[in-house]
Amino acid sequence: MDLRFTPEQEKFRAEVRGWLAANLTRPWSQEARDPKHDANSLVELRRAWQKKLHAAGYLGMGWAPEWGGRGASEVEEAILQEELYRADAPQIPNFLGISLLGPALIHHGSEEQRRRFIPKMLDGSEIWCQGFSEPGSGSDLASLRARAEPDGEHFRIFGQKVWTTFGPWADWIFVLARTDMEDRYGGITFFLMPIAQKGVEMRGIRQITGESEFGEVFFDGGLARREHIVGKIGEGWKVAMTLLGYERGGSTLAYPAEYDRYLGGLAAGLSENGLMDRADVREKLGRLVVDNEVMRGNGMRNLANIASGNAPGPESSIEKIFWSEYAKRLTDTALDLLGPQAQLLDTQPGARADVNWAYEFLWTRAGTIYSGSSEIQRNIIAKRVLRMPTK
Amino acid sequence: MQFALDEDRALLARSTRELLAKEAPLATNRQIMESEPAGYSRALFKQLGELGYPSLLLTEEQGGLGAVAFAAVLHEMGRVALPGPFLDLALAIKVLAGSTSDAAKKCLTKASAGEALVVLARNESLTTGDAGAPTATFSSGTVRGVKRFVPFGLQADALIVETTGGLVLVPKPATGWNAKAMPTIDHAQRFAEVTLDAPGTLLCEGEAACQAIGESDQLGALGASALLLGLMERALEITVAYTMERKAFGGPIAGFQALQHRAADMLLQTESARASVYRAAFAAEHQPEQAAYLVAVAKAWAGPAARLVCGEAIQMHGGVGFTWEYDPHVYLKRVKTLEQFYGSTRAQLEHALQSKGW
Repeated sequence: MDLRFTPEQEKFRAEVRGWLAANLTRPWSQEARDPKHDANSLVELRRAWQKKLHAAGYLGMGWAPEWGGRGASEVEEAILQEELYRADAPQIPNFLGISLLGPALIHHGSEEQRRRFIPKMLDGSEIWCQGFSEPGSGSDLASLRARAEPDGEHFRIFGQKVWTTFGPWADWIFVLARTDMEDRYGGITFFLMPIAQKGVEMRGIRQITGESEFGEVFFDGGLARREHIVGKIGEGWKVAMTLLGYERGGSTLAYPAEYDRYLGGLAAGLSENGLMDRADVREKLGRLVVDNEVMRGNGMRNLANIASGNAPGPESSIEKIFWSEYAKRLTDTALDLLGPQAQLLDTQPGARADVNWAYEFLWTRAGTIYSGSSEIQRNIIAKRVLRMPTK
Repeated sequence: MQFALDEDRALLARSTRELLAKEAPLATNRQIMESEPAGYSRALFKQLGELGYPSLLLTEEQGGLGAVAFAAVLHEMGRVALPGPFLDLALAIKVLAGSTSDAAKKCLTKASAGEALVVLARNESLTTGDAGAPTATFSSGTVRGVKRFVPFGLQADALIVETTGGLVLVPKPATGWNAKAMPTIDHAQRFAEVTLDAPGTLLCEGEAACQAIGESDQLGALGASALLLGLMERALEITVAYTMERKAFGGPIAGFQALQHRAADMLLQTESARASVYRAAFAAEHQPEQAAYLVAVAKAWAGPAARLVCGEAIQMHGGVGFTWEYDPHVYLKRVKTLEQFYGSTRAQLEHALQSKGW
């Protein structure tokens, strides 16, 4: 047993910190509340940030050098993410492309597909979104009904996708659609297609936060080239599962680093409000501190297991439930303890400057629903870890 | 990075599980809890002494193996809800090993061999599990005061009493202790109220006593967390097994999503405790600057987590979960002791907060 980072890993952390100190001029939470920005200018800012990270060699770090990576280990990847969150760096706009589609192309894609898509994915010139969920197929993804009809060198896609994160700014979409309406898993194929074309319409969905980061996409015969199918026809489910494995294995240490920042903001607010001597307040804050540290411990254990060569298993469901439920608890408690000030919109001069509590309170409601709801994660734990039977 | 135990410690964990499966399975332990007047098996403790278990916390030269090994052993003892003062004995031995007095050395030899039971006597209050500042005194070689919730106080051969004058080793007087039992809901841990007016030997005072107590607090919290981990891990196992066997509405009740989701939450609590406990143990051994904080985190998590898991174990067993015959209540009762003592949850939350500078 050894839960320490190696000297090389610590050196890498120091390098990242040095780079961030020199390159991150303004934390994201300050940028996002600046009245000079609108949704589009913030996306451009994030694109510029992605270019910087790419130039410094921090994107797709775990990939082979021929795909722009440096063959970095999961531990280094986790250290990078931890430092980015700690520093409150902007999120790259192409996170879905790089964290999900990139690994799927490297595993299942053709040489031509990798050459065509990976460089532009990394430099931010083509932004990707994900076309998986449908109005009738959320947690039960394999029930999806979008269909693909062959048409010469193309397939024509019909149907509707929803909850397409970053869709309103995306150039390309990776889509799961049926090439066989009967075969539940074997009838699904994984297509790549451009969004700006006839037969594809993207609309923004206004969320409870007021912003429209999600979209819905209507397909009415939009074209996907045969050569842009990832894997074979009917292998879409397999490709999607590889990709979702990356979604769940990713940022083990990043969330605790972010929540540490929020906890710092909460403690500062409570001190200013003269509440830090109250026993009930201390107990609540202490509980949040402890639970976040437990989350970090879970992440370190998972990371250590991955570093020792064990593939990420269904235990990652524990991590998903933990951070998403914790984020709700943290913001619930913060809004209770900080009082109505924390409900002020961040554009108001009286709002707290360190954490946008009003926004986070609302945004954290999504975490327990997206990327496998808490209920789906509990099903996975019960069936795959505890081996409880299906009725 | 590696989370799995190294070879030596994995072997120790495995052989401890085998030893306990043979000598102290839960069925045997329950008999001892209910009908053995001492409340624990002296024969087993003698055997553990011969095998070197009570000295695990000492340095390697003194026969110890460190905090990770200690946690791994207590984890196993938690799984079978082992009755007896193993944790208390290990903590007392650690204090004795820090003293140079002849009386301490003699006592240490016997206690390490499992031939004498020595425990710390610190609590005085009925209303908190945290010891707080003592009022018991030590003057002219005599300890005076009343100690409550002394673990296995009636059975002890010597007590290490926390007094205003420091930690004092008090051997059992020839006339026996002036003590009465304080039975609680937990049959695996006997407590006593001991009224002291007895000669003793000073082990340490002032700064040294504070340090010994601080160290003991930390190792006690770590040990209790490891026991809690074992208790909830086993309670979850027996509960899931029961839901697989018990049939209703045409199939095993394990097929019901309502129960599956509760079991999934129990696993989340248990696995999080596992990560926290071993991380804290590793810190206690290799990262002293983080140890106090991470041990507080582990204990503050493990107590409520184990209460939730063992409480759910009763509920998910249904009516039989409320019977004396079935085992879940043994686990829940044991949890309540470990949650209140060895640093209460509230004290650990405060500790964690202060470690952050808040």
